[in-house]
Amino acid sequence: MDQKDILFKQIFDTNSKKIFHLCYGYTGDSDAANDLLQETFLKVWQNLDKFRQKSQISTWIYRIAVNTCLTYLRSEKRQAKDELTDNIIETKVEEFSEKNEQVALLYKSISKLEENDRLIITMVLDELPYQEIAEISGISEGNLRVKIHRIKQKLTELYNHHARI
Amino acid sequence: MQEFEHIQSLWQSHTVEVKISSEEMLEQAKKEVGTIRTKSLFNIGGMVISFIAISSLLFYFDFNSWTTSLGIGIIIMAVAIYTILLYREHRLISKNDFTEDPKAFLSKLHEYQLSRFNLYNKLYWFYASAISFGFILYFYEMLGGMNTWTQVVFIAFTIFWMVFCATILRKSFMKREKERIDLLIEKFERISGQLDDTA
Repeated sequence: MDQKDILFKQIFDTNSKKIFHLCYGYTGDSDAANDLLQETFLKVWQNLDKFRQKSQISTWIYRIAVNTCLTYLRSEKRQAKDELTDNIIETKVEEFSEKNEQVALLYKSISKLEENDRLIITMVLDELPYQEIAEISGISEGNLRVKIHRIKQKLTELYNHHARI
Repeated sequence: MQEFEHIQSLWQSHTVEVKISSEEMLEQAKKEVGTIRTKSLFNIGGMVISFIAISSLLFYFDFNSWTTSLGIGIIIMAVAIYTILLYREHRLISKNDFTEDPKAFLSKLHEYQLSRFNLYNKLYWFYASAISFGFILYFYEMLGGMNTWTQVVFIAFTIFWMVFCATILRKSFMKREKERIDLLIEKFERISGQLDDTA
Protein backbone atom coordinates (compact mmCIF):
# COMPACT_ATOMS: atom_id res chain seq x y z
CA MET A 1 0.00 0.00 0.00
CA ASP A 2 1.56 3.32 -1.02
CA GLN A 3 1.78 6.55 0.96
CA LYS A 4 -1.30 8.10 -0.67
CA ASP A 5 -3.44 5.06 0.19
CA ILE A 6 -2.35 5.13 3.83
CA LEU A 7 -2.98 8.87 4.08
CA PHE A 8 -6.41 8.50 2.49
CA LYS A 9 -7.39 5.76 4.92
CA GLN A 10 -6.28 7.89 7.86
CA ILE A 11 -8.24 10.86 6.55
CA PHE A 12 -11.32 8.71 6.01
CA ASP A 13 -11.16 7.12 9.46
CA THR A 14 -10.74 10.50 11.14
CA ASN A 15 -13.39 12.45 9.22
CA SER A 16 -15.98 10.06 7.82
CA LYS A 17 -18.26 10.03 10.85
CA LYS A 18 -18.56 13.83 11.02
CA ILE A 19 -19.05 14.13 7.27
CA PHE A 20 -21.70 11.42 7.34
CA HIS A 21 -23.49 13.27 10.15
CA LEU A 22 -23.36 16.49 8.10
CA CYS A 23 -24.80 14.71 5.05
CA TYR A 24 -27.41 12.97 7.19
CA GLY A 25 -28.48 16.28 8.71
CA TYR A 26 -28.74 17.74 5.24
CA THR A 27 -30.76 14.96 3.60
CA GLY A 28 -32.49 13.29 6.56
CA ASP A 29 -31.91 9.99 4.77
CA SER A 30 -29.10 7.58 5.60
CA ASP A 31 -28.88 6.11 2.07
CA ALA A 32 -28.57 9.54 0.49
CA ALA A 33 -26.08 10.53 3.20
CA ASN A 34 -24.05 7.45 2.37
CA ASP A 35 -24.04 8.41 -1.35
CA LEU A 36 -22.90 11.91 -0.47
CA LEU A 37 -20.22 10.62 1.86
CA GLN A 38 -18.83 8.40 -0.88
CA GLU A 39 -18.93 11.19 -3.43
CA THR A 40 -17.13 13.51 -1.01
CA PHE A 41 -14.34 11.03 -0.37
CA LEU A 42 -14.07 10.19 -4.05
CA LYS A 43 -13.27 13.87 -4.60
CA VAL A 44 -10.86 13.83 -1.67
CA TRP A 45 -9.02 10.89 -3.23
CA GLN A 46 -8.90 12.50 -6.66
CA ASN A 47 -7.65 15.84 -5.33
CA LEU A 48 -5.45 14.79 -2.47
CA ASP A 49 -2.32 15.69 -4.43
CA LYS A 50 -3.68 19.16 -5.11
CA PHE A 51 -4.46 19.98 -1.48
CA ARG A 52 -2.33 23.06 -0.79
CA GLN A 53 -2.47 22.97 3.01
CA LYS A 54 -3.63 26.57 3.16
CA SER A 55 -6.28 25.37 5.57
CA GLN A 56 -6.72 22.36 7.82
CA ILE A 57 -7.47 19.15 5.98
CA SER A 58 -10.74 18.76 7.90
CA THR A 59 -11.84 22.25 6.72
CA TRP A 60 -10.97 21.29 3.15
CA ILE A 61 -13.01 18.07 3.42
CA TYR A 62 -15.94 19.93 4.97
CA ARG A 63 -15.87 22.38 2.05
CA ILE A 64 -15.96 19.52 -0.43
CA ALA A 65 -18.82 17.90 1.52
CA VAL A 66 -20.80 21.16 1.69
CA ASN A 67 -20.37 21.71 -2.08
CA THR A 68 -21.30 18.10 -2.75
CA CYS A 69 -24.45 18.39 -0.64
CA LEU A 70 -25.48 21.66 -2.29
CA THR A 71 -24.94 20.32 -5.81
CA TYR A 72 -26.56 17.00 -4.98
CA LEU A 73 -30.14 18.21 -4.74
CA ARG A 74 -29.87 20.63 -7.64
CA SER A 75 -30.13 18.04 -10.38
CA GLU A 76 -33.71 17.22 -11.33
CA LYS A 77 -33.38 13.58 -10.44
CA ARG A 78 -32.26 14.31 -6.95
CA GLN A 79 -34.88 17.01 -6.38
CA ALA A 80 -37.50 14.32 -6.83
CA LYS A 81 -35.73 12.35 -4.14
CA ASP A 82 -35.67 15.45 -1.93
CA GLU A 83 -39.45 15.51 -1.99
CA LEU A 84 -39.33 12.08 -0.47
CA THR A 85 -37.29 13.31 2.46
CA ASP A 86 -40.41 14.12 4.44
CA ASN A 87 -41.79 10.65 3.82
CA ILE A 88 -38.54 9.03 4.80
CA ILE A 89 -38.47 11.00 8.03
CA GLU A 90 -42.17 10.28 8.71
CA THR A 91 -41.57 6.57 8.25
CA LYS A 92 -38.58 6.71 10.51
CA VAL A 93 -40.63 8.46 13.19
CA GLU A 94 -42.97 5.46 13.23
CA GLU A 95 -40.12 2.99 13.33
CA PHE A 96 -38.24 4.71 16.12
CA SER A 97 -38.79 4.23 19.82
CA GLU A 98 -40.21 7.10 21.81
CA LYS A 99 -36.77 8.21 22.95
CA ASN A 100 -35.41 8.36 19.43
CA GLU A 101 -38.53 10.08 18.20
CA GLN A 102 -37.02 13.35 19.40
CA VAL A 103 -34.01 12.76 17.14
CA ALA A 104 -36.30 12.12 14.19
CA LEU A 105 -38.14 15.37 15.01
CA LEU A 106 -34.82 17.18 15.02
CA TYR A 107 -33.94 15.87 11.55
CA LYS A 108 -37.40 16.80 10.35
CA SER A 109 -36.94 20.34 11.72
CA ILE A 110 -33.51 20.65 10.07
CA SER A 111 -34.99 19.53 6.75
CA LYS A 112 -37.38 22.53 6.89
CA LEU A 113 -34.48 25.00 6.92
CA GLU A 114 -32.95 26.58 3.81
CA GLU A 115 -30.25 24.44 2.13
CA ASN A 116 -27.33 26.61 3.25
CA ASP A 117 -28.76 27.04 6.73
CA ARG A 118 -29.06 23.28 7.08
CA LEU A 119 -25.37 22.84 6.45
CA ILE A 120 -24.33 25.69 8.72
CA ILE A 121 -26.44 24.46 11.62
CA THR A 122 -25.12 20.90 11.36
CA MET A 123 -21.61 22.30 11.68
CA VAL A 124 -22.72 24.39 14.67
CA LEU A 125 -24.32 21.32 16.25
CA ASP A 126 -21.04 19.47 15.72
CA GLU A 127 -19.30 22.35 17.56
CA LEU A 128 -16.99 23.39 14.76
CA PRO A 129 -15.25 26.69 15.57
CA TYR A 130 -16.99 29.71 14.00
CA GLN A 131 -13.80 30.63 12.19
CA GLU A 132 -13.77 27.23 10.48
CA ILE A 133 -17.48 27.41 9.58
CA ALA A 134 -16.87 30.86 8.10
CA GLU A 135 -14.02 29.49 5.99
CA ILE A 136 -16.06 26.49 4.82
CA SER A 137 -19.20 28.45 3.99
CA GLY A 138 -17.41 31.49 2.54
CA ILE A 139 -19.23 33.93 4.84
CA SER A 140 -17.42 36.55 6.93
CA GLU A 141 -17.26 35.69 10.62
CA GLY A 142 -19.31 38.76 11.59
CA ASN A 143 -22.12 37.90 9.20
CA LEU A 144 -21.92 34.27 10.18
CA ARG A 145 -22.54 35.02 13.87
CA VAL A 146 -25.72 36.92 12.98
CA LYS A 147 -26.78 34.17 10.60
CA ILE A 148 -26.15 31.41 13.13
CA HIS A 149 -28.16 33.26 15.78
CA ARG A 150 -31.08 33.49 13.35
CA ILE A 151 -30.82 29.82 12.30
CA LYS A 152 -30.67 28.66 15.92
CA GLN A 153 -33.87 30.57 16.67
CA LYS A 154 -35.58 29.23 13.57
CA LEU A 155 -34.56 25.64 14.32
CA THR A 156 -35.72 25.90 17.94
CA GLU A 157 -39.08 27.26 16.75
CA LEU A 158 -39.46 24.49 14.18
CA TYR A 159 -38.50 21.81 16.69
CA ASN A 160 -40.94 23.07 19.32
CA HIS A 161 -43.65 23.41 16.67
CA HIS A 162 -43.17 19.79 15.50
CA ALA A 163 -42.96 18.55 19.08
CA ARG A 164 -46.37 20.05 19.83
CA ILE A 165 -48.07 18.32 16.88
CA MET B 1 -40.60 24.47 25.27
CA GLN B 2 -37.08 23.29 24.39
CA GLU B 3 -33.95 25.44 24.16
CA PHE B 4 -31.20 25.20 21.56
CA GLU B 5 -28.86 23.51 24.09
CA HIS B 6 -31.32 20.62 24.34
CA ILE B 7 -31.36 20.33 20.52
CA GLN B 8 -27.56 20.31 20.48
CA SER B 9 -27.31 17.58 23.11
CA LEU B 10 -29.91 15.59 21.16
CA TRP B 11 -27.82 15.91 18.00
CA GLN B 12 -24.65 14.88 19.75
CA SER B 13 -26.31 11.92 21.45
CA HIS B 14 -27.39 10.56 18.10
CA THR B 15 -24.56 8.34 16.93
CA VAL B 16 -24.38 7.59 13.24
CA GLU B 17 -22.99 4.50 11.63
CA VAL B 18 -20.89 4.98 8.52
CA LYS B 19 -21.84 2.13 6.22
CA ILE B 20 -18.57 1.95 4.34
CA SER B 21 -15.08 1.18 5.61
CA SER B 22 -11.95 3.06 4.58
CA GLU B 23 -10.74 -0.05 2.68
CA GLU B 24 -13.99 -0.25 0.69
CA MET B 25 -13.92 3.48 0.01
CA LEU B 26 -10.33 3.33 -1.23
CA GLU B 27 -11.18 0.36 -3.45
CA GLN B 28 -14.22 2.16 -4.83
CA ALA B 29 -12.31 5.38 -5.50
CA LYS B 30 -9.74 3.44 -7.49
CA LYS B 31 -12.13 1.36 -9.54
CA GLU B 32 -14.58 4.09 -10.71
CA VAL B 33 -12.98 4.53 -14.12
CA GLY B 34 -11.26 1.16 -14.00
CA THR B 35 -14.58 -0.64 -14.56
CA ILE B 36 -15.32 1.08 -17.84
CA ARG B 37 -11.76 0.45 -19.04
CA THR B 38 -11.91 -3.23 -18.08
CA LYS B 39 -15.22 -3.74 -19.89
CA SER B 40 -13.80 -2.07 -22.97
CA LEU B 41 -10.74 -4.37 -22.78
CA PHE B 42 -12.94 -7.47 -22.45
CA ASN B 43 -14.86 -6.32 -25.50
CA ILE B 44 -11.63 -6.06 -27.48
CA GLY B 45 -10.40 -9.38 -26.08
CA GLY B 46 -13.57 -11.12 -27.27
CA MET B 47 -13.14 -9.69 -30.76
CA VAL B 48 -9.47 -10.77 -30.92
CA ILE B 49 -10.44 -14.32 -29.90
CA SER B 50 -13.11 -14.37 -32.64
CA PHE B 51 -10.54 -13.11 -35.13
CA ILE B 52 -8.07 -15.87 -34.22
CA ALA B 53 -10.76 -18.58 -34.20
CA ILE B 54 -12.15 -17.60 -37.63
CA SER B 55 -8.67 -17.13 -39.13
CA SER B 56 -7.63 -20.58 -37.93
CA LEU B 57 -10.36 -22.09 -40.14
CA LEU B 58 -8.32 -21.06 -43.18
CA PHE B 59 -5.21 -22.79 -41.84
CA TYR B 60 -6.69 -25.99 -40.49
CA PHE B 61 -9.31 -26.80 -43.14
CA ASP B 62 -8.92 -27.34 -46.83
CA PHE B 63 -11.88 -25.75 -48.58
CA ASN B 64 -12.78 -26.69 -52.15
CA SER B 65 -14.75 -23.63 -53.16
CA TRP B 66 -13.34 -20.13 -53.47
CA THR B 67 -16.61 -18.77 -52.05
CA THR B 68 -15.81 -20.28 -48.63
CA SER B 69 -12.37 -18.65 -48.47
CA LEU B 70 -13.81 -15.36 -49.66
CA GLY B 71 -16.64 -15.60 -47.10
CA ILE B 72 -14.22 -16.29 -44.26
CA GLY B 73 -11.93 -13.52 -45.57
CA ILE B 74 -14.77 -10.99 -45.48
CA ILE B 75 -15.76 -12.02 -41.95
CA ILE B 76 -12.13 -11.77 -40.79
CA MET B 77 -11.81 -8.30 -42.35
CA ALA B 78 -15.03 -7.10 -40.72
CA VAL B 79 -13.98 -8.43 -37.32
CA ALA B 80 -10.48 -6.91 -37.69
CA ILE B 81 -11.81 -3.47 -38.65
CA TYR B 82 -14.33 -3.48 -35.81
CA THR B 83 -11.62 -4.56 -33.36
CA ILE B 84 -9.36 -1.70 -34.50
CA LEU B 85 -12.24 0.75 -34.01
CA LEU B 86 -12.88 -0.64 -30.53
CA TYR B 87 -9.19 -0.30 -29.70
CA ARG B 88 -9.15 3.29 -30.93
CA GLU B 89 -12.05 4.03 -28.58
CA HIS B 90 -10.38 2.25 -25.71
CA ARG B 91 -7.34 4.51 -26.11
CA LEU B 92 -9.59 7.56 -25.69
CA ILE B 93 -10.28 6.67 -22.07
CA SER B 94 -7.20 4.62 -21.19
CA LYS B 95 -4.70 7.37 -21.95
CA ASN B 96 -6.35 9.95 -19.73
CA ASP B 97 -6.35 10.24 -15.99
CA PHE B 98 -9.02 12.32 -14.31
CA THR B 99 -6.67 13.36 -11.52
CA GLU B 100 -4.12 14.80 -13.96
CA ASP B 101 -6.38 16.88 -16.18
CA PRO B 102 -10.10 16.73 -15.31
CA LYS B 103 -11.21 18.90 -18.26
CA ALA B 104 -9.31 16.86 -20.85
CA PHE B 105 -10.60 13.67 -19.28
CA LEU B 106 -14.20 14.86 -19.40
CA SER B 107 -13.84 15.95 -23.00
CA LYS B 108 -12.42 12.51 -23.90
CA LEU B 109 -15.30 10.85 -22.04
CA HIS B 110 -17.79 12.85 -24.14
CA GLU B 111 -15.86 11.89 -27.28
CA TYR B 112 -15.86 8.24 -26.19
CA GLN B 113 -19.63 8.30 -25.67
CA LEU B 114 -20.25 9.79 -29.13
CA SER B 115 -17.85 7.36 -30.74
CA ARG B 116 -19.52 4.39 -29.01
CA PHE B 117 -22.90 5.62 -30.22
CA ASN B 118 -21.63 5.74 -33.83
CA LEU B 119 -20.02 2.34 -33.49
CA TYR B 120 -23.29 0.73 -32.47
CA ASN B 121 -25.38 2.64 -35.00
CA LYS B 122 -24.13 3.41 -38.52
CA LEU B 123 -20.94 1.38 -38.31
CA TYR B 124 -22.73 -1.60 -36.83
CA TRP B 125 -24.86 -1.97 -39.97
CA PHE B 126 -21.74 -2.05 -42.19
CA TYR B 127 -20.31 -4.67 -39.88
CA ALA B 128 -23.54 -6.74 -39.83
CA SER B 129 -23.86 -6.53 -43.66
CA ALA B 130 -20.25 -7.67 -44.19
CA ILE B 131 -20.65 -10.54 -41.71
CA SER B 132 -23.94 -11.62 -43.33
CA PHE B 133 -22.43 -11.52 -46.82
CA GLY B 134 -19.43 -13.51 -45.54
CA PHE B 135 -21.72 -16.14 -44.03
CA ILE B 136 -23.72 -16.49 -47.26
CA LEU B 137 -20.51 -17.25 -49.18
CA TYR B 138 -19.27 -19.55 -46.42
CA PHE B 139 -22.50 -21.53 -46.30
CA TYR B 140 -22.48 -22.01 -50.08
CA GLU B 141 -19.92 -24.81 -49.75
CA MET B 142 -20.39 -25.82 -46.14
CA LEU B 143 -24.09 -26.57 -46.41
CA GLY B 144 -23.84 -28.08 -49.89
CA GLY B 145 -23.44 -31.68 -48.65
CA MET B 146 -26.15 -31.47 -45.98
CA ASN B 147 -29.83 -32.37 -46.32
CA THR B 148 -32.42 -29.66 -46.85
CA TRP B 149 -33.71 -29.63 -43.26
CA THR B 150 -30.23 -29.22 -41.78
CA GLN B 151 -29.60 -26.40 -44.23
CA VAL B 152 -32.87 -24.73 -43.22
CA VAL B 153 -32.03 -25.08 -39.49
CA PHE B 154 -28.51 -23.63 -40.00
CA ILE B 155 -29.74 -20.72 -42.10
CA ALA B 156 -32.73 -20.01 -39.84
CA PHE B 157 -30.58 -20.06 -36.70
CA THR B 158 -27.97 -17.77 -38.29
CA ILE B 159 -30.65 -15.30 -39.42
CA PHE B 160 -32.31 -15.43 -35.99
CA TRP B 161 -28.97 -14.84 -34.24
CA MET B 162 -28.03 -11.93 -36.50
CA VAL B 163 -31.45 -10.29 -36.04
CA PHE B 164 -31.32 -10.87 -32.27
CA CYS B 165 -27.87 -9.25 -32.05
CA ALA B 166 -28.86 -6.33 -34.29
CA THR B 167 -32.08 -5.55 -32.43
CA ILE B 168 -32.62 -6.64 -28.80
CA LEU B 169 -28.99 -7.23 -27.81
CA ARG B 170 -27.63 -4.12 -29.54
CA LYS B 171 -30.35 -1.85 -28.15
CA SER B 172 -30.05 -3.11 -24.60
CA PHE B 173 -26.25 -2.86 -24.77
CA MET B 174 -26.46 0.71 -26.10
CA LYS B 175 -28.95 1.67 -23.36
CA ARG B 176 -26.77 0.27 -20.59
CA GLU B 177 -23.65 1.80 -22.07
CA LYS B 178 -25.31 5.23 -22.37
CA GLU B 179 -26.60 5.14 -18.79
CA ARG B 180 -23.20 4.08 -17.48
CA ILE B 181 -21.27 6.79 -19.32
CA ASP B 182 -23.96 9.44 -18.57
CA LEU B 183 -23.66 8.70 -14.87
CA LEU B 184 -19.89 8.87 -15.04
CA ILE B 185 -19.98 12.15 -16.97
CA GLU B 186 -22.52 13.63 -14.54
CA LYS B 187 -20.38 12.62 -11.60
CA PHE B 188 -17.13 13.94 -13.05
CA GLU B 189 -18.79 17.19 -14.20
CA ARG B 190 -19.98 17.82 -10.66
CA ILE B 191 -16.54 17.03 -9.29
CA SER B 192 -14.82 19.14 -11.94
CA GLY B 193 -16.94 22.20 -11.19
CA GLN B 194 -15.80 22.16 -7.60
CA LEU B 195 -12.07 21.61 -7.99
CA ASP B 196 -11.13 25.29 -8.16
CA ASP B 197 -13.25 26.14 -5.14
CA THR B 198 -12.02 23.42 -2.88
CA ALA B 199 -8.34 22.80 -3.57
